[in-house]
Amino acid sequence: MVNRSEIIIEAKDLAYQYTGEEEASSPALSGVNISVHRGEYIALIGPNGSGKTTLLKLFNALLVPTNGEVRVEGISTFDEENILSIRRHCGMIFQNPDNQLVATTVEEDIAFGLENLTLPSAEIQKRVGQVSSVLGLQDLLQQAPHMLSGGEKQRVAIAGVLAMQPGCILMDEPTAMLDPAGRNDVLQTVQHLNSEQGLAVVHVTHFPEEAVMADRVVVLEDGRLVAQGSPKEILGNTSLLHGLGLQSTAAVELASLLRQDGFDLPEGIITNRELVNSICSLEQTD
Amino acid sequence: MSRSITLGQYYPGKSLIHRLNPRAKILSLVMVLILLFSLHTYEALLAQLAVALLLIWNTRVPFRYFLRGLRPILYIALFAIIIYFFFTSGGVVLLRIGFITVESHGVQQGIFIILRLITLVLFSLLLTLTTTPLALTHGIGYFLKPLRYVGLPTEEIAMIMAIALRFIPTLMEESQRLMRAQVSRGADFETGSIFRRAKSLVPLIVPLFVSAFRRADDLALAMEARGYQVGAVRTRMYEDTIMPLDWTVLLVVIAMVAVAWILGL
Amino acid sequence: MFIGTDRLTHTYMPGTPYAKKALDNVSFEIKQGGFALVIGRSGSGKSTLIQHLNGLLKPTSGRVFFDGHDLGQKGNELLKIRRKIGLVFQMPEELFFSETIFDEIAFAPRNLGLEETEVQTRVIEALEEVGMEAEQFIDRHPFQLSAGQKRMVALAAVLSLRPEVLILDEPTAGLDHSGQKILFKLLASLNKKKNMTFIICTHHLDQVAALADQVLVLQEGRLVMDGFPQKIFGRRSQLIKMGLSPPVTAEIMADLAERGLDVRSDIFNLEDARAEINRLRRHRVK
Repeated sequence: MVNRSEIIIEAKDLAYQYTGEEEASSPALSGVNISVHRGEYIALIGPNGSGKTTLLKLFNALLVPTNGEVRVEGISTFDEENILSIRRHCGMIFQNPDNQLVATTVEEDIAFGLENLTLPSAEIQKRVGQVSSVLGLQDLLQQAPHMLSGGEKQRVAIAGVLAMQPGCILMDEPTAMLDPAGRNDVLQTVQHLNSEQGLAVVHVTHFPEEAVMADRVVVLEDGRLVAQGSPKEILGNTSLLHGLGLQSTAAVELASLLRQDGFDLPEGIITNRELVNSICSLEQTD
Repeated sequence: MSRSITLGQYYPGKSLIHRLNPRAKILSLVMVLILLFSLHTYEALLAQLAVALLLIWNTRVPFRYFLRGLRPILYIALFAIIIYFFFTSGGVVLLRIGFITVESHGVQQGIFIILRLITLVLFSLLLTLTTTPLALTHGIGYFLKPLRYVGLPTEEIAMIMAIALRFIPTLMEESQRLMRAQVSRGADFETGSIFRRAKSLVPLIVPLFVSAFRRADDLALAMEARGYQVGAVRTRMYEDTIMPLDWTVLLVVIAMVAVAWILGL
Repeated sequence: MFIGTDRLTHTYMPGTPYAKKALDNVSFEIKQGGFALVIGRSGSGKSTLIQHLNGLLKPTSGRVFFDGHDLGQKGNELLKIRRKIGLVFQMPEELFFSETIFDEIAFAPRNLGLEETEVQTRVIEALEEVGMEAEQFIDRHPFQLSAGQKRMVALAAVLSLRPEVLILDEPTAGLDHSGQKILFKLLASLNKKKNMTFIICTHHLDQVAALADQVLVLQEGRLVMDGFPQKIFGRRSQLIKMGLSPPVTAEIMADLAERGLDVRSDIFNLEDARAEINRLRRHRVK
C-alpha cells in the first residue's frame, strides 16, 4: 500500500531567476516551501506568469534553483550524477501534445524513456505492453503520432512516463489544447492512476473544475506560494481567487452570488451536485 | 489534412521481405544493384526482372504502388529511347523517316537500358515499400557507424533523422495552415514577379521559423525530461538482430552474384 | 440569405486511398448581425467549414454564399468578397511576422492595395476598436506584448479589413480568465454596436453561450443540429453522448429542474442563473 506520509518531492526556500531576459528584474519564484507526498494529488493554480511551469521544471531538474533546494526521493536536483534517477522518479507531461512525442510510432515513443534508462530490450517490450494495456493503447501501438487525436497523444505521453515507473507525475496544463471528450479521457486516466496505482500528481491547470478532484490546491502568485489547502478551502474562497484574477467553479460562483441574495447556503459547496443538493434542501425546509 | 500525409513510401505487411532486417535488405540491394550494372546479356537481365517480380508478388504490396514509383523514370526512359533508337547505328534498318533511321542494334540496346533501369527501380522500391522510414534510418545509421571513429556523432545523427521523420508531417500541416491564414489576410503567394513573390514569402517563413524553433525547444525539453542525454548510451526496444532468415537471404544474393560473374553474364 | 452553405461537401485527397469526407452535405444560413457558435469534436469538420466560409477551400460539391454572391467564383470577385469576411485562426498571434505592431495590422489593408494614408487610418481605428492606445503601441514589437495583448493585436490585424463577418476559431485558447472576459466583452460590443456577424468555433461554451443566437453542431462532417441555443443546449444527453459539454450553468439548472424545481434550464450564464433561482424564491414567497 502507498504510505501517504512519505515525502517524494521536497522543496525548501526555493527561488529561481531566469537570466538573460530583459524583464529579469523580478524572480520567477521566491521563498517557496512545498512538499509532495506519495499518492497525493496536487492542483497548482495561479494567473499567467505566476511561476507554475517554473516550479514543475525545478521538480524535474530541468532547471536547478538559484536559491534553496529540491529533493526528489531524497536526491538533490543539484546532483548531476543522479539526474536520470530523478527523471525516472518524476515524469513530466507538457501542454502541447504534438511537441512531446519523439518517435515515429506510438510503441517506440512509449519506449523512448526506457531506452534512455538503458533497460534490456525484453524488459522494454514487457513494460510497453503493460502500460499500453493499462492506458488502453494496445490498438494504437503501430500508429504514427500525427494520426492520433489530441487526447490519444496525451495518453501516449502519459504512457511514456508511466513506463518509467515513477512515483510522481508532473502535468503542465495537459488538457488545455484538447476538446471536451479528449479532456475527460486524460483526466479520467490520471485520476485512475492516482487512485489505483498510488501515483502522486502535480497538475497545473487553468480550469477550476480540474482542481476539484485534487487532495490539495496550491496557489501561486508572482512567484510566491500565497495559499494552499483542500479544494473546499481554496476554491470556496472566491475573494482570494477573484483578487488574483482567477475564477472558481461555476457552482462556487453561483453559490456566492446566491448568498449575497440572502440564500442560506452552507459553506464548502464546490461541485454542481453539492450546489443542487443545497438549493433543493433549502426549498424543502421552507 | 495531416492524416493524408504519408511518411516515405512504406506499405505495411508481414511478408518475408517485410520481416527481413533492414541492414540485410540494404546490403542485398547494394549487391543486386552492382550485379545489375555489370550484366550485359538479355537472359541474365530478364532473370533478374523475374526475380524482382517474384519478390514483388511475395510482398503483397499492390502493384500500382510499384507503378507509381516507376513514374519518375518515364522521362529518362523516353530520353534513352531517343538516344539509342535514333543515334545508335548497326544491325538491320527497321525504319527510315527521311534521313533518320532506326536500326536494330539501337533498339536492342535501348530496350536493354530501359529494362535495366526498371529492374533497378523495382528492387529499390522493394526496399522502401517494405521498410518503415525509421527502420530504414536505423539501417543506414548502422552502416554509418564506422564514421564514429573519425569523430562523427553517428548516434545523434540517427536520432536527428528519426526526429525529422517524425516532424515532417507536422510541419507540412503547419505550413499549409499558415499559408491559408495569411491568404485570408489578403496575402498573395502566386502572382507577380519572382522578386515580388520571394518577398511575399516573408509572412509565411517568419512564423514558420518561429513555430519550428518553439517546437524544437519544447521537444528538447520533453526529451530531457524523459532522461535523454546527448552522448549517453541508449538501448533499443527492438534489438536489431540478424536472424537466420537474413543470413539465408544474404547468402542467396551472394550466390546469385557469384553465378552471374562465373558464367560471365 | 446572408452567409451560409448549400449542400456543401468537401473531400480531402479525393480519388486516393486516403480520401476523407470532411464535410458531408452541409446546409445552413446565418443572418446579418447574427452570432453563431459552431461546436463539435476535434476532427468533426469545423475548421474545414470556416475555411470554406472564407473561400480558402473549394467545395468538392455544393455552394458557399455570402450576401448574394457565390464564393465558388474566381479571381478578383472572390478577393472582393473575401475581404468582407474576416477569419481569425486559432492562436492568431502565431502569424505575426512584422517588426512593428503597425506593420502587422497594416498587412491586410496594404494587401487590398489601399493608399498609405487610408492604411494608417485603418490601423489606428482597428487598434482603438480592440481597446489599445494607438500612440502607445504602433511602434512596439509585436513579440514583446503579453498573451492577452497579442491576441488583441491579432484581432486588430483582421479588423483592419473592416469585415462584415468575423469568424473566430477557438478565440480564447491560451488566455487566462481575465483575458477571456475582455475578449468576449469586445466581441459582444462589435456585434451589438456595429452589427458585425459572428461565427465562432469553440469547445469552451461557458462564457460565449450567452452571446449566441444560433448553434450549429457538427459530427463527423455532418451538420446534426442547427437552431437557437436554448433548443440545442436543451438536448443535453445527446450532446454529452457526442463528446461535447453543454454550458455548465445549463447543467446546474437542468439538474435543479430534474429534482422537481420549477426553473428554466436554458440558461447559460451565472447572472441569469442567479435571477432565475431568485425568481423561484419570490414566486414561492408569494
